[in-house]
Amino acid sequence: MDEARRAPLSAWLPDGTGIVGMSLMSGGAIQQNWKLDVRVGGEPQGWVLRTDSTATLSHSRPRAEEFALLQAARRSGVAVPEPLMLCSDLSVIGTVFFIMRRVEGVAAAHRIVRSETLGGGRAALTASFGRELAKIHAIRPTQAGLGFLKKHPDMAPGLRFVGEMRAHLDAAGTPQPILEWGLRHLERHAAASAEIVLCHNDFRTGNIMVDDAGVTGVLDWEFAGWGDPHEDLGWLCAKCWRFGSPHEAGGVGPRATLYAAYERASGLQVDDDAVRYWEIAATIRWAVIALSQAARHISGTEPSLELALTGHIVPELERDIMRATS
Amino acid sequence: MSGTGRTGIDAKSLLDIARHTLLADIVPVLSGEARFKALMVANAMAIAAREVHYGPVKAPGNDAAIVAAIRAGLHDGDTIMARRLQDLAQAKCRISSKTVEKAD
Repeated sequence: MDEARRAPLSAWLPDGTGIVGMSLMSGGAIQQNWKLDVRVGGEPQGWVLRTDSTATLSHSRPRAEEFALLQAARRSGVAVPEPLMLCSDLSVIGTVFFIMRRVEGVAAAHRIVRSETLGGGRAALTASFGRELAKIHAIRPTQAGLGFLKKHPDMAPGLRFVGEMRAHLDAAGTPQPILEWGLRHLERHAAASAEIVLCHNDFRTGNIMVDDAGVTGVLDWEFAGWGDPHEDLGWLCAKCWRFGSPHEAGGVGPRATLYAAYERASGLQVDDDAVRYWEIAATIRWAVIALSQAARHISGTEPSLELALTGHIVPELERDIMRATS
Repeated sequence: MSGTGRTGIDAKSLLDIARHTLLADIVPVLSGEARFKALMVANAMAIAAREVHYGPVKAPGNDAAIVAAIRAGLHDGDTIMARRLQDLAQAKCRISSKTVEKAD
C-alpha cells in the first residue's frame, strides 16, 4: 500500500467520508499500519488502516480473522480499537485491509516500564492488565464468528505447544539442544487444562496502549487462539518481556497484584506453578521467533543488522531456560 | 596473540578503538534513526570483539544427536547434560550479552 492507493481507497469508503490526511505509522516486515485522518459527514475522526506487507509470517493471522477477533474482543468488553470496516477486495489497495478507530496513548515498552504514573501508576496498571486478560479469557470456543480458530481436542495445551515448537525447529533445520531441553521439560510436566479460553498470545508490555488513566487498547491480535488461561499470564510475566525492569508482571508491577485482579474479574483461580510453566514456554517461543528472524539475515534473503542482532538475544533466553529447568 | 605479528594491533583492540570512536565522536552528532542505527553498529562491534577475544563457542557434541536423544527422553534427569547445556548457554552469553551474570 502506498500514497497512490489514496484515490481508490477514498472511492471505496462510505459516502460522505473523506480522507484528510494519510501517513505510514509503522511498517514491519509483516504488517503496515496507516494513520488516516478522515471527515465523516464533516466530523473529524482518527482511524488506522491495517494491512499486510509483502512478506508474511506463516503463523500470523490474515487480516479478516484479526478483524473478527477485534469484534469478539470488543463484544466481551476488552479495551480494543473499535473495528470499523473490512475490505477483502484486492482491487482497492492490493491487499486485504481493515480500518479501526485510532486509540490514543503510549505503547512503547521502555517508556511504560520506567514510568511511575502511566496507567494510573504501577499497581493500577498491573490490575488493569489482569482485568483485560480476564475479559479476553471470557471468550470461549462456543463463541460465534471465531470458527476459523483451530481447535485442539483432548490435548494438553503444553503438549500442543511442544509439538508446534518442535515443528518450527525441524523446519528451520538447525538443531537447538538447549531449546529442546526446555521443550522436553515442558513435555514431561504438561498438565491438562481445566478451562480452554481465547488466548491473545502476545499480551505483553509493548502491545498494550495505555494513557494516564489505564489501558486504552490491547493491540496485535494476530497470534490469538484457544488455549489455557495461564499461557497469557506466563507470556506477560516472562523475564524476556520485563524489558530490564525488576517488576515481574510485564515489567510494570507485582505479580500478586496481577493475579488478584485477574481472579476477581475472571472468577478463575490462578495456579502460580502453571504461570511459571508458561513462562518457560514463553522464553522458548521468543527464542524460536528470534532464531527465525536471525535466519532471514543469515540466509541472505534479507541482510539486516537488526535481524542479526536479534539472533544474539537467544543466548540470554537459553540461560533463562536452563535456570528454570535444571 | 593474533594479529600482533605485522602491526601490533590485534582484531579486538582495533574493534574496541573503532567502537570507542563511533560512540565518542559520531553518535553524539546523530539523531533519530541514524543515531539508533549507529548504536546498533556499536553493539554489533562489541559482540564481534568479544567473539574475537573468547574464540567461537564450541558445540557440546553432535547437536542433532543430542536433540534426538533429548526428545527420546534419554537425558531426562541427566545432571551432566544439564551442566553441559548450562555451560554452553553461559559461553554464548559471554559473547552475545552486554551484561554477563555470574554462573550459578
